[in-house]
Amino acid sequence: MNCQKFQEVLPYIIESGGNKEEEEHLRTCPACAGLVEDLRYIATQAKLLLPMHDPNPRVWTGIEQALRHQGLIQEGRMSLMGHTLVPAQTKSWTPVGWIMAAAALMAFSALLITYRPQLPPAPASAQNMNAQSATLPADDQQLVSQVSERAPDVRSAYEDSLREVNVYISDAEQAVAKDPEDAAARERLVDAYQQKEMLYEMATARSLP
Amino acid sequence: MNQHALTGIGAVSILALGTVQALAADTRKEVRLEIAPGGMVNVVNNTGAVSIHGGTGRQVVAIYTTHSSKIEVDQTATPDKGRIELRTHALGDQHPTSDEARVDFDITVPAGSSVTVSTATAPITVEGLSGDVTLSSDTGQITVRNVAKAHVHVRGVTAPVNLTDIVNGHVEVTSSGGAVQMVNVSGSKVSVGTANGNITYRGDCSGGGSYEFTTHSGAIDVTLPEYASVDLSARSVSGSVQNDFPLQAKPHSPFVPKSGSSFAGTSNSGLSSVELQSFSGKIRVKKQ
Repeated sequence: MNCQKFQEVLPYIIESGGNKEEEEHLRTCPACAGLVEDLRYIATQAKLLLPMHDPNPRVWTGIEQALRHQGLIQEGRMSLMGHTLVPAQTKSWTPVGWIMAAAALMAFSALLITYRPQLPPAPASAQNMNAQSATLPADDQQLVSQVSERAPDVRSAYEDSLREVNVYISDAEQAVAKDPEDAAARERLVDAYQQKEMLYEMATARSLP
Repeated sequence: MNQHALTGIGAVSILALGTVQALAADTRKEVRLEIAPGGMVNVVNNTGAVSIHGGTGRQVVAIYTTHSSKIEVDQTATPDKGRIELRTHALGDQHPTSDEARVDFDITVPAGSSVTVSTATAPITVEGLSGDVTLSSDTGQITVRNVAKAHVHVRGVTAPVNLTDIVNGHVEVTSSGGAVQMVNVSGSKVSVGTANGNITYRGDCSGGGSYEFTTHSGAIDVTLPEYASVDLSARSVSGSVQNDFPLQAKPHSPFVPKSGSSFAGTSNSGLSSVELQSFSGKIRVKKQ
């Protein structure tokens, strides 16, 4: 059992706790354990939103079908293990309860679909295409102008590189802002700033008489 | 003598004078400087080639050619002979053109010496050393070959970087736009970062070291032999990843692999850590 396989059966695990192998993985993998803990907390909170009355079984069935459609529930897995999302109907329902329950569970299923633990976020990629046309900030322009005074041959190299590095920094900053816990994103931000630091250091050395 | 003949003689004379003048402007010099064991050689040269080879003995032998009288090379050595510097500069208030400013160096240093070279457009070639190597160039090609047990630190703006046969090294390359190519490079740490330069690695990532290749928009291509013992992870934010190397899935991964944009696994006993990361570039790992 690895993290990827574990993720594939996550809805079932949230619901039932999983089988022995899955429980073993959950016990030894901090990343997946954290994910399950988060999702269980959300599920608990969602349940608190439920009114006194459970919704009609059709709501549960609809959600189950939606999860199955998204590939989050494997065909046959639920029935094989004897589990189903559809609970026993014990109480009658009200329209308000129906709406609140549906909203809470749709939010929960949306979270299941979109949750990407420790993966870098999707890019805000206006980025790369604009690298060549982006205007350099004033500091960068001043640096380029100083370099080109003493070494005109390398002016364009610095201009292009500063543009690329600025896009790199911008992308990395966005990634960190979206997920401050993403260690990889933070490392990339440091890398991006190191690139810029290098350019400034080299350009400064080049500008000196 | 008719007018055509006079014109012809004049042209030949001018050509001959030009050639003589050009030859006169090319000045080749050789200097020999004592260096202490483990000493450092520092070379600063904006344009022209810098080639450094490992040698024997205790002398640094520098042969350099200047192409104009507007430029000169200063040679300095510290009293303890621990540091030698060769620095090219323009004379007085001269403003040499790029061609006039060119100085070509061919330097032999004792193999254990450390070497630091800085150029603007000049290519740098270093081979056969066992001392630390620190190279930087704005746009000149940087080539390092046959270096062992050394710290190899390379920086470039758009300078292409080629590293070949570096063993037991501590390699750090930062290049903004230059492509970085490595063949048989191994050691305790091999770290390469670029903004948009491509990174290519062909070797076995041996030594139980840490190999980290990071780029913003460049491509990363890694070719490993089947016997490579690696613990490998690859992630691209918006680019794609492709793995054609046999890896075993890891029971635990610091991230959840996502088909097409990340993967992780080990081969053999997973001795060396290999991390490949890109924002929008394509990452490919294949079997040699």
